[in-house]
Amino acid sequence: MTLSTAAVGRSIPRLEARAKVTGRAEYVHNMSVPGMLIAKVARSNVAHGRIRNIDVAAARALPGVFAVYTGEDIRKLIAEPYYGPAFHDQPILAIDKVRYAGEPVAVVLAADAHVAENAARLIEAQYEALPAVYDEVEAMTSKAVVHEVLKPAGTFADLKHLKDKRDTNVALDFHLRRGDLGRAFAAADHVFEHTFRTQQVLHLPLEPFATVAIVNGAGDDSLTLHSSTQSPSFVRTEIARLFGWTDNKVRVKVPYLGGGFGAKVYVKSEALAAACAMLAKRPVKFATTMEEQFYMITKHATTLRIKSGVMQDGKITARECEVWWNGGAYADIGPRVTQKSGFTAPGPYDIDNVHIDSYALYTNLPAAGALRGFGIPQLVWAYESHTDMIARELKIDPLTIRRKNILREGWPQATGTLMRDAALEKVLERLAQRMQWEKPFQRGSGTIKRGRGMAIGFKASISPTTSMAIVNLSADGSCALYSSTVDMGQGSDTIMAQMVSEVMGIPIEKITVVHPDTDVTPYDMATLGSRSTFHMGHAVKNAAEDARDKLLTLASEVGLSAETTPIPDIFKKKYGMLAGNIVGVGSFVPSYQSPDARGQTENATPFWMIGATGAEVEVDTETGEFKVTRLVNLVDVGKSINPAIVETQISGATVMQLGFTLQEQMNFSDGHVTNASLADYKIPGMRDIPPMENEAVDAEQKSGPFGAKGVGESGTFGVSPAVANAIDDAVGVRLTSLPLTAEAVYRGLREKAGKPLKDS
Amino acid sequence: MTPFELAEPTSLAEAIALMGEGAGIGDNAARAIAGGTALMLMMKAGVFQPKRLVSLRRVEPRYAEIAATPEGGLRIGALATLTALERSAVVKQAAPVITQTLKTLSNVRVRNVATVGGALAHGDPHMDLPPLLTALGAQVRTVSPKGERTLAVGELYTGYYETALAENELITEVLVPPLAGLRVAYKKITTRAADDWPTLGLTVALQLNGGVVADARLVVSAATNTPTRLAAAEKILRGTTLDTATLARCGDAAVSEVELAGDAHGSSAYKRELLRVYTQRVLREIWGKS
Repeated sequence: MTLSTAAVGRSIPRLEARAKVTGRAEYVHNMSVPGMLIAKVARSNVAHGRIRNIDVAAARALPGVFAVYTGEDIRKLIAEPYYGPAFHDQPILAIDKVRYAGEPVAVVLAADAHVAENAARLIEAQYEALPAVYDEVEAMTSKAVVHEVLKPAGTFADLKHLKDKRDTNVALDFHLRRGDLGRAFAAADHVFEHTFRTQQVLHLPLEPFATVAIVNGAGDDSLTLHSSTQSPSFVRTEIARLFGWTDNKVRVKVPYLGGGFGAKVYVKSEALAAACAMLAKRPVKFATTMEEQFYMITKHATTLRIKSGVMQDGKITARECEVWWNGGAYADIGPRVTQKSGFTAPGPYDIDNVHIDSYALYTNLPAAGALRGFGIPQLVWAYESHTDMIARELKIDPLTIRRKNILREGWPQATGTLMRDAALEKVLERLAQRMQWEKPFQRGSGTIKRGRGMAIGFKASISPTTSMAIVNLSADGSCALYSSTVDMGQGSDTIMAQMVSEVMGIPIEKITVVHPDTDVTPYDMATLGSRSTFHMGHAVKNAAEDARDKLLTLASEVGLSAETTPIPDIFKKKYGMLAGNIVGVGSFVPSYQSPDARGQTENATPFWMIGATGAEVEVDTETGEFKVTRLVNLVDVGKSINPAIVETQISGATVMQLGFTLQEQMNFSDGHVTNASLADYKIPGMRDIPPMENEAVDAEQKSGPFGAKGVGESGTFGVSPAVANAIDDAVGVRLTSLPLTAEAVYRGLREKAGKPLKDS
Repeated sequence: MTPFELAEPTSLAEAIALMGEGAGIGDNAARAIAGGTALMLMMKAGVFQPKRLVSLRRVEPRYAEIAATPEGGLRIGALATLTALERSAVVKQAAPVITQTLKTLSNVRVRNVATVGGALAHGDPHMDLPPLLTALGAQVRTVSPKGERTLAVGELYTGYYETALAENELITEVLVPPLAGLRVAYKKITTRAADDWPTLGLTVALQLNGGVVADARLVVSAATNTPTRLAAAEKILRGTTLDTATLARCGDAAVSEVELAGDAHGSSAYKRELLRVYTQRVLREIWGKS
């Protein structure tokens, strides 16, 4: 075993780059198997209604249609056909009632996709309309109830008190209490209170949702699912649970994903494909169109109220946060967003007295779940806009007020957990340096005014979660890594291979990364929440170290020096020829302590993610049009395993959040999405991307593998408030709702001038 | 999308015949397809379910030609792609405003296949060429089983997605008269993404004579059902020297004489303010050009 050049810390090109640009990479969306039927769904055209009748006769009669199923057909196969990670609330096809416009009510199977699609259009359903609720704050007290009875999944301790609760839309209420808020407000020199809103948006990976389900086994009692999922292990267990099977009856295989961003976690297209395949006894493919993504999973719209007690010098002494998360018709992972992100609602600041009330709400809109940042961008939007509004009122520089309040290493955050390896100060200072914050700033001239803003946010890692890995060393010295981490474009294959290479001293070209296959690769919680580098990284490192130790043992057993002998010679000596393997296994689960009734815990997260953005803008004072002319993004990712990949993760996250900041918004009319297409819902194109500078500060996560931690989301944190703060800096217009539009700026300018724009 | 028959005639006459009798009616009617960039989206959405598509790709190549006329105008075959139009040296010479407009018209993938005829016949009020060609006084020549006719681009649009074209009538070419000193600009105002439908389109054409406006044509688009001439604003400009007061009056007149529809790009009230400001800005920009 001879050591090659260090692999970790180098910008090694992505392993899959060639396969992707030459069109050879596999995606489920492109997959076809013999005998396969295509599933197309008919969707509800009311937001909330009791199902009176679903007429499928015309669809069934269409030549070429193999079968048409409704929720009642599914119920014959699966007695309780409801799934979900936090609540078992989502039916495979609507049963008894529909809870949002666009909910699947029936499915058509046909060998020809066009036939299936046309047949789906012929399905007519009648509903008795029910009162609907769309707004997250109204949902707290609304008479319209989305789910009559709550059905928590039982996996989460903090949801147990909601079991069988009736007539409420609150799917989780999280509370945190620290210090004496009332006294602190009374003692404060100033009290500021502001309310902020964010809009509903969605992920839109370029590869939509897709599953191919194949029935196998002698008794037709097992399934193979090829799926574009970020969570193969969860899908396996959840599908097995639905059918009352053991896990080994379900095999989930995942090739590359054409993007995920949190959309493809937990069960999405899998349950319907699996149920259809079992009913039809034929392979079934359920792949959504781009437009159907608008009815699958979205990002929470939110209302956030923040109230702060502040001393004359800018020191924040008290903070009260109320957050209402619009979860849509099904809980998905929303309750986790409410708690796991909710506890960072006061921001990365040292505040002794804090109250947080965070509510996950059901409404009659498409469901909301995890989207790159897991609720953090909504929270940072509120608290960092609030920070600047306070600074402006008190005539304190935005950098100064942040310096005064920022949490320092070893200080307790709102949960009581101490900040460890959280380079908040460093990120803030580096940002100020790159923006030349303390130097004079050119303010523009004529009708163009310039401004700049900054924002900093942080995130905890969802915890505790488990990762397992296997490293299989072949006699010739090449090896394979078996892990259920999904490479959805973030580059996990490459960095995991780098870690194996580093530990084993095997060049990267001799390492194969085996893609998730639950019959082959071991358990992993999921690829989400920027957890893979840290959690799977540890498991992979442990597995590689285990394999290396076994190789050392083998070498000494046959009387060779592992340091100087090539690997094949060690195997040859042992087995008389090139034969055999060494299998190293590794696992990782971080320590964690659940919060108590007051939301307090000594160990809220295995690591903190830090992200900050500085923005410069130019605003046209006659039209409100504005241009972001510079974005500076700073993150703490610990030590970078692959600096080039870190850079693309920062820029990708930033651009995605910039779309949510300036352009994207799902528009609704009576609960119907009115812009469910890429022509009417505009994601950023190349020409929308401003000049950007990205930097990972020099830092180390001492508890991380090779000093590293996650990076996928940190670039999203500061974008929205940084731009809003810059607009305010330029023209004195404060926007409190996303997206930030030219019209909103224009209306602000008119109001400021005492001549509000009237809508005739 | 519903399966359909694809006909690929090699002459325009044949294409017209294939779109005629027995080829369905209304949403099922046979449709001509050139670039297909709009039609395919509408078929995917189920708006049209034609039994037959008549591809124009193989008809006589002369229908894709772009040429300068002896008078200094342009003769543009309806099947010329938008990219061909964008890159044409004769277009750049005769009417650089067309070249300029194409740079921000949709995106390069669309421009590579979409055709001039399709862009004019589609009737979507958000498109860029109809208002520009209206302001330039361009005409289209069409052919149908009833024969040929010529009409002004300004007469082509009768309502929201409605045109004066019969179902089996095809545009064959566009005739752009010589600019003859006409100063023209098209301003596409987008408020969401850079590559987006315009919130508002504004075309301004000015004929100057000895430092005075001899003729003015202002066309607003995207927020109206059809490209709409702003007659009152034009009238104010004629005979003036575009001083600040005139510009302001012109902006106010433009806003008063037209109804602008609010949508996801902006409210009606906001679009009025955009029109007021950009009318003045575009005029000032043209005026400043030597």
